[in-house]
Amino acid sequence: MKERGILSPSDLQKPLNKVVYGLMCLCIAVMTFTMLYPIAMTMFNGLKSNQEVNSFPPRFFPKEWHWDNFPKAWNYIDLPMFLKNTLLIFGGNLLMTILVLGLASFSISRIRVPYSRAIYFFILLTLFIPASSYMIPNFVNLKELGLLNTYWAFWLPAGANAYYFLLMKNFFDGIHPEIFEAARIDGASEWTSYLRIAVPLSVPIFATLAIFIFSTAWNDWFWPSLVMHTEDKYTLATAIYKYVINARNMDSSVKFSILFMVMIPPIFVFLGFQKFIMRSVSLSAVKG
Amino acid sequence: MGEPVISPGNMQQNTVKASASVSRKPRRGSNWKQYMWGYLFLVPAIAIFIVFLWVPIIKGMVYSFYNIDFVKGNTFVGFDNYVKVFHNPDVLLSVRNTLYYMLLCLVIGFWVPIAASIAISELRWFQGFARIAAYLPFVVPGVVLYGMWRWMYDPVGPINALLGWFGADPVSFISDGRWSMVSIVFMETWQQFGSAMLIYLAGVLSIPRDWYEAAEIDGAGVWARIKYITLPSMRNLIVLMLILQLIGTSQAYQSQLALLDGGPNKATLTYALLTVKYAFTQLDYGAGTALGVLMFIVLSVLGVLQYKLNKEEY
Repeated sequence: MKERGILSPSDLQKPLNKVVYGLMCLCIAVMTFTMLYPIAMTMFNGLKSNQEVNSFPPRFFPKEWHWDNFPKAWNYIDLPMFLKNTLLIFGGNLLMTILVLGLASFSISRIRVPYSRAIYFFILLTLFIPASSYMIPNFVNLKELGLLNTYWAFWLPAGANAYYFLLMKNFFDGIHPEIFEAARIDGASEWTSYLRIAVPLSVPIFATLAIFIFSTAWNDWFWPSLVMHTEDKYTLATAIYKYVINARNMDSSVKFSILFMVMIPPIFVFLGFQKFIMRSVSLSAVKG
Repeated sequence: MGEPVISPGNMQQNTVKASASVSRKPRRGSNWKQYMWGYLFLVPAIAIFIVFLWVPIIKGMVYSFYNIDFVKGNTFVGFDNYVKVFHNPDVLLSVRNTLYYMLLCLVIGFWVPIAASIAISELRWFQGFARIAAYLPFVVPGVVLYGMWRWMYDPVGPINALLGWFGADPVSFISDGRWSMVSIVFMETWQQFGSAMLIYLAGVLSIPRDWYEAAEIDGAGVWARIKYITLPSMRNLIVLMLILQLIGTSQAYQSQLALLDGGPNKATLTYALLTVKYAFTQLDYGAGTALGVLMFIVLSVLGVLQYKLNKEEY
């Protein structure tokens, strides 16, 4: 045994501790099963016949594998169009975050203009105002600006995120100032040193932000359903909520295959970028 | 500063100092040129923060005194919105529901990630797997979650099948007013505890191992080690997470809206959901913002508390 935790190897020699440790492992096994069961069931229900999904008690594996549910699900609603809308919002938000918030945090962290402290607090103060208390005026504001039912209603406010600003500012603070001084001596303007030095060095924080922004764009169903009111602008989550979750006469098996397809991309993103995500979770502890 | 002593070495030092102080506090003329880029970088962000964040926040205060009408224009109505809101018996009901929901989240959800993080940190095998499995539900999108758990909670769904094995009568978890809020809390705990668990896990793993070694040599049992070393080391983190959870749960409405629309018989009508309904079902934006302002006043107390704790820790 190389490492010890709360328990040491000698603790595990005692019979009582052995039993408790065994129970604990059992609890974790049950927890793991509970976590995975609904996800697995969503997949297998998507492959059953409609009758089998509604039978009682539910079976884990399908009796017959109905792969034809997937083409049916794909054609049930215009998934590619909704997917395109979601990706458009994701891409625009990411670009906006990197350009607007990235430049601002770079300026606060590196250039230190006079009154930067005041500007910093002006931005950070918004963290302490609960989002739901200004949700309705926010909607009215967008309506008065004439931005409803346009992508700009998502892209522009994406530049007003104090939490992402804080993450980037902390990251820039950690870059050695000598690099920027060297660039300045070589004649680089601030713009060049942001684009050619800060951005390439900041790939880890941008990846983290990209994951955050992706999951927001992918998961948010309520706000887009208010802001976008024609069908061709709905995001994927909004469309699923309106046409699948609230559908009355729909085959349960097809419903589950749609849900499964929607669930797959974020799960792959998670499994692919595990290290980034595990780290970013501990970042979010600082979130206000 | 005092008189400069003139000697070659000192002179050099003085010139260096002088030029440094010049670059820190430049003359008025060079100010703009030197900081032009810095300000240019800040302008878009400041503009967007004003237009899309500060304007709504301040307008929220203003709008709560207005009757909002997109066609005829807004009219000032004084405290009418507040009076209207206070005369609605649903407001009191929704406050009670929200407090009940927050309490359930504490009782059912709050201790789970703490216990799980300590347990998983002790796993000798499959620790990585357990971590991923616990976090996986967190990446399931909300709409999928609702579809999934509607089926899980169905009178002929898997949970009732499990209860049937133990000989219990089937429960209609969602449509029964006594169970609906509990069901929502269970569903959300299932989804969200993994992310809190990872935060706690980082805390548990950062406790130096030799503290346990020393405690064990002094004869402390396993429980004593958890009680006197692990939990006290996590104290600040736990309090911080508690406040974050209170701030989050006091504003919850999405699951309640998606699964039950506040029903059955208003049993899951939370305060934030009532605000949303005022605005987007009854189209009474004034009353909705008035509810938002009241919420803001209550929550800012919690926000200040969190800020103080955050400062303590970092």
